[in-house]
Amino acid sequence: MDSQAQDSAVHSWRRGDLLLPTPRLLPRLDPRLVLPAALRLPIDVPRPAIARIELFDQPPAVSSFRFAQVSAPPARPPRAPRVAEVAAAASALPENSSSGGADPAAESTTPKRTRIAPPRDVVKLSERFFFLLQPDLESILESSRLEFPREPFPFQLDGMAFLVPRHGAVLADEMGLGKSMQAISSLRLLIRSGEARRVLVVCPKGLVSNWTRELADWAPELLVAVIEGDPQRRRWQWSLQDVPVKVANYEAVVRDRELVAELGLEFDLVVLDEAQRIKNRSSSTSEAIRSLHRKRSWALTGTPVENTAEDLVSIFEFVAPGHLNDRMSPRALGAAAADHVLRRTKDKVLKDMPPRMNRDERIELTAEQRETYRRAEEEGVLRLSQLGQEATIQNVFELVLRLKQICNFDTATGESAKLDCLEAELEEIQASGKKSLVFSQWVETIGRLDKRLSRFGALEYHGGMSTVARDEAIRKFKHDKQHNVLLLSYGAGAVGLNLQFSQYVFLFDRWWNPAIEDQAINRAHRIGAVGAVTVTRYLSADTIEERIDEVLRKKRDLSELILSQAEAPAASGLTADDLFSLFKLAPPKRAAA
Amino acid sequence: MEQNRSEQPVEAAFGFLTVVDAPSHGLFGGYLLVDLAGRPLEFHCTAPVKVSRAQQILYGATLQSHLHGRQIGAALLAEGTVTPELVLTDLESMLHVRPHTALPVALVTRAGAGAAAGSGAAGFAIGDVSISPHASDAGLEPLLREKLESLLAAVDLSEPFERIRAAIEEAQRH
Repeated sequence: MDSQAQDSAVHSWRRGDLLLPTPRLLPRLDPRLVLPAALRLPIDVPRPAIARIELFDQPPAVSSFRFAQVSAPPARPPRAPRVAEVAAAASALPENSSSGGADPAAESTTPKRTRIAPPRDVVKLSERFFFLLQPDLESILESSRLEFPREPFPFQLDGMAFLVPRHGAVLADEMGLGKSMQAISSLRLLIRSGEARRVLVVCPKGLVSNWTRELADWAPELLVAVIEGDPQRRRWQWSLQDVPVKVANYEAVVRDRELVAELGLEFDLVVLDEAQRIKNRSSSTSEAIRSLHRKRSWALTGTPVENTAEDLVSIFEFVAPGHLNDRMSPRALGAAAADHVLRRTKDKVLKDMPPRMNRDERIELTAEQRETYRRAEEEGVLRLSQLGQEATIQNVFELVLRLKQICNFDTATGESAKLDCLEAELEEIQASGKKSLVFSQWVETIGRLDKRLSRFGALEYHGGMSTVARDEAIRKFKHDKQHNVLLLSYGAGAVGLNLQFSQYVFLFDRWWNPAIEDQAINRAHRIGAVGAVTVTRYLSADTIEERIDEVLRKKRDLSELILSQAEAPAASGLTADDLFSLFKLAPPKRAAA
Repeated sequence: MEQNRSEQPVEAAFGFLTVVDAPSHGLFGGYLLVDLAGRPLEFHCTAPVKVSRAQQILYGATLQSHLHGRQIGAALLAEGTVTPELVLTDLESMLHVRPHTALPVALVTRAGAGAAAGSGAAGFAIGDVSISPHASDAGLEPLLREKLESLLAAVDLSEPFERIRAAIEEAQRH
């Protein structure tokens, strides 16, 4: 091989091979031997890996969310005091607040920030951001120039933060925690932000004036129209365009159902007070309420489950139709309702509230009362026994009512052991200058009490009176020191009234459902209560009253169980079985059904 | 509250810029623009940025300022359609966004927490916070103070950062 060939072979080396020219390796080899020009020794040398470290040369992806401005003017008055500052000056607050009023001692120096959390059913991230990125409620209230007659309690701000973002909500606070104030403040925020322009408040007839008062206190800038009067006047009131808040009683909504439809009224918000009024889904009231065209539905009730779980399902047919159904277990109901229901009790949120002391006073009937009672019961039970399977609940009910009336007053002589006792107690209270509420089931009883208690300046308040007369009675009781006793019927006086300046409550006779009794008691034992509230429940010894009390005591409180998502019995009031058992009678099959 | 409200011209806006370090995801940047009442106008947030050990070594002490200021901060500010009077941040490293924007930038610290030591100017106290503008905005101090006084009536200046953090937490759950 000549040197040129050898050079060529060497130049054809590939990278990674070790190439050795043969002649140079073996110079003494016989030249006649044919040998390759070069020895190729492949050496597998891996290429070194090159590590690449990414530099941050690309900006991260950005997601953007834009929110339209609210219609509230951005300019503000001089800075309003924050919660802590108000708390420090709270000693100047009026002593008697109707629905709110923070306890200065309850506030810390760190201002509370109440966040408006998005409801669970808001799923779009942009909508959830909208709520999460709002200022805290305290700042919104300050910057919205919303002044309140009294500083709301922190739990009331929580209630507003619960209501404001919700289209369907049940505010089920225990009576006396200021449900109406929370609803009014929340609807005020919605109106101020332009999210609500047409609001309808529906409440029991007896509470219309209460609502107008509360609206004037907590939202003084809002024009309010009360739907009342003859058909022509009501048509005009319903049609008012520039009045953002209308207040109607349930009966008016039922009566004007077609008119509301004819006028094509649509509401941004309908607030139902004492929403247990629609617990019977097939009633004309419930149907009329549910037929209202509305964007938001808020129900206010201290007793969302008055008797059975169906009560809550019925309320939800207004609040969030189809969300609950009768086939759900109490636990499932509680879980499904949880995000729509806010329930607080006084013992949880008002730890510094004056205590409520309960006294069950067992009254021995007078001898003549006892004899009248014994005869009436024997005759009644005998008649029921004779009726046998023909006996109806109505028959039993009539006997119960008759016996309860005798426990109040002897029908023959007019004697009343309870009234004797009440009179003595009121004398003592009168001496201290304090005020008392006396509740009875019957207007007739109230009239008889009034006659005997006139020296205490007793005033009546019941459904047999006109609204004007009732309002006048409340005004006198509140402001006139000559009137220290208010006699109320459970029907008219158990709901909506703010009588927290009273320190004594007497249940002259008992209602069928403890929830109604609680409502009555909470007229006095509520926010702003001036001191401990003493509740006296009269029970005539060895009578139907004691037996009813025993039945009710044995019942568990279904409402609380559902709201705590626990299993519960079916009812908490008196059923047909309960009524028959009061006289140790077996209920007929049809009655027990 | 819904988003479909009547549009109104924005009278004044303020920006709040921060970064949230979520160990399982990385760094999220958040930029909230609010009006004078503290209500949200815009919100921008970044996808998470993960930092490797090698990047930490390569960038060394410049990592945070580069990531926060140039990468995340600048990307967020570029998305805003409302021009704020001022961009506030609660992270000193975020002041490094200033060379990448024409907007004045300032650091907010709680009173007593110590003012910015690095690129911030001496600053001033307002309400219960201290404001340290970026060194290049030091001359604007009287103007910034005046503008912040109007915002302070409705907003605690350190509070909107809590909202940003809550929104970023929500984004991670979503």
